[in-house]
Amino acid sequence: MRLLAPPCGKLLGGLLLAVAANAYAGESQACLDWLKTVAFAGHQTDYTGVFVYQYDNRVETSRITHLAEADSEYEKIESLDGPKREIVRHHGHVWSYNNHKMIQMDSHQGRGRFPSLLPDQLSRLGSNYQARREGMERVAGYDAQVISFQPRDSLRYTHKIWVHTDSGLLLKAAVLSDKNQAVEQYAFTQLQIGGKIDRSWLNGTASSSSEHNSSATVHGPDLLDPESAKYVASPTNSGWVADAIPAGFKKTMEILRPMHGRHAPVTQIVFSDGLSAISIFIEPDDGDEDDVDGLSSRGAVNLYHKISNNHLITVVGEVPPRTVMQVIDSVRFNGR
Amino acid sequence: MKQEISALMDGELFEDEADKLLNRIGRGTVAHKDWEIYHLIGDVLRQPEHIHCDLSARVRDRMRDEPTVLAPRSHAVKQKIRTVALSAAASLAAVGVVAWMSQQIGTESPSQMAMQNNAMRPVSIQIQPKSNDYLMAHQEFSPSTDMNGGASYIRMVSYGPEGK
Repeated sequence: MRLLAPPCGKLLGGLLLAVAANAYAGESQACLDWLKTVAFAGHQTDYTGVFVYQYDNRVETSRITHLAEADSEYEKIESLDGPKREIVRHHGHVWSYNNHKMIQMDSHQGRGRFPSLLPDQLSRLGSNYQARREGMERVAGYDAQVISFQPRDSLRYTHKIWVHTDSGLLLKAAVLSDKNQAVEQYAFTQLQIGGKIDRSWLNGTASSSSEHNSSATVHGPDLLDPESAKYVASPTNSGWVADAIPAGFKKTMEILRPMHGRHAPVTQIVFSDGLSAISIFIEPDDGDEDDVDGLSSRGAVNLYHKISNNHLITVVGEVPPRTVMQVIDSVRFNGR
Repeated sequence: MKQEISALMDGELFEDEADKLLNRIGRGTVAHKDWEIYHLIGDVLRQPEHIHCDLSARVRDRMRDEPTVLAPRSHAVKQKIRTVALSAAASLAAVGVVAWMSQQIGTESPSQMAMQNNAMRPVSIQIQPKSNDYLMAHQEFSPSTDMNGGASYIRMVSYGPEGK
């Protein structure tokens, strides 16, 4: 017995460790499964509701309507306070309705549907964040499972989501700083899932009647801003690199794209850690005095402009200010 | 005792506790010394440029009172032990100060912490509406769009300070 005891203890210890590791892996997997459900439900469900967006001591209220038709998805977001603004997404394209003008905002990549979570994105997420279920809460009258994603370093934010247990729809989402303070959050205050939802805005006919005159509708290409429609985004290898991308971020694309309000095409390089992304934009400096150097932010998004070697470099990401600054300081041209 | 004094200085004691402690400080010399030293450390930490503490006179006085030892050293070993003991004491004292400092930092209320952090954060202004196009272009390929769906696009059209 005396001889057997030490290996027994080791075995038991190892077993306990294995069980703990398994439990951890199981927990993480359960959370990632929830995420998949959220992504799927977000695409496949018809819903309409009012949500608040809270950021930087501000609160904005908007209505969102999402319809999954046989051919594709349609989505409309309209602001309910402040100046009237509207965004329509359809067939992978994004239109913004502002000042009585509809402008196509996307890169004309022409993707047939909204992006959804890819397997390698999920595995990257699992290695950069510790996912944990945090019990049940009620949001907008629905029961929600709370899940938190704690980053492994301070170069990212903590993300927390509230998922409707029945439909899998996201009811609330918060981004927290390392001091556990909310940087921004979305939350539905009212939500209708399925049932009778107004579909009149799906085709252009609605715009001809006077009462819908100011409402954005999905039109043909004739209403697009001709300036922005000149180019179509194409994959590129610009030769620009950033050496100080935080560990865990992986380059997901590099394109030469048109951008509204810009004369020349803009190089965009995107890095993602599975939950948040960093975009680097590089374009020739047009000498516009208004392109101020420095940091600005809106909620969880931080943006940094810098002019370097006759190029305007812009870094945007849902990451803390210091991450954006670290990245922009490391951007350089490495030759083609 | 030391912890209580530190707590008192941070205003974290209840009234009756504070009264009791102040009484003790008034009577006991050790407690009174601690009280003085803590205040000195606090002053130095807060505004080092205003501290003009000239110790040289007191050091000179103390050295004058110190008896001059003219006898040769009996044992080199003994001296060594004493040095070790002294340095150990010194490092203990250093640990004491560090522990006290970290406690000082640790007991700050969250609001105090937030104020300090704001002061130290890089200057950050609201993203200008003219930069919305960059946000929109970024959002198109961000995984947060997968998670939050269209709701994350509201960020792009937020009217910000100018729309107010």
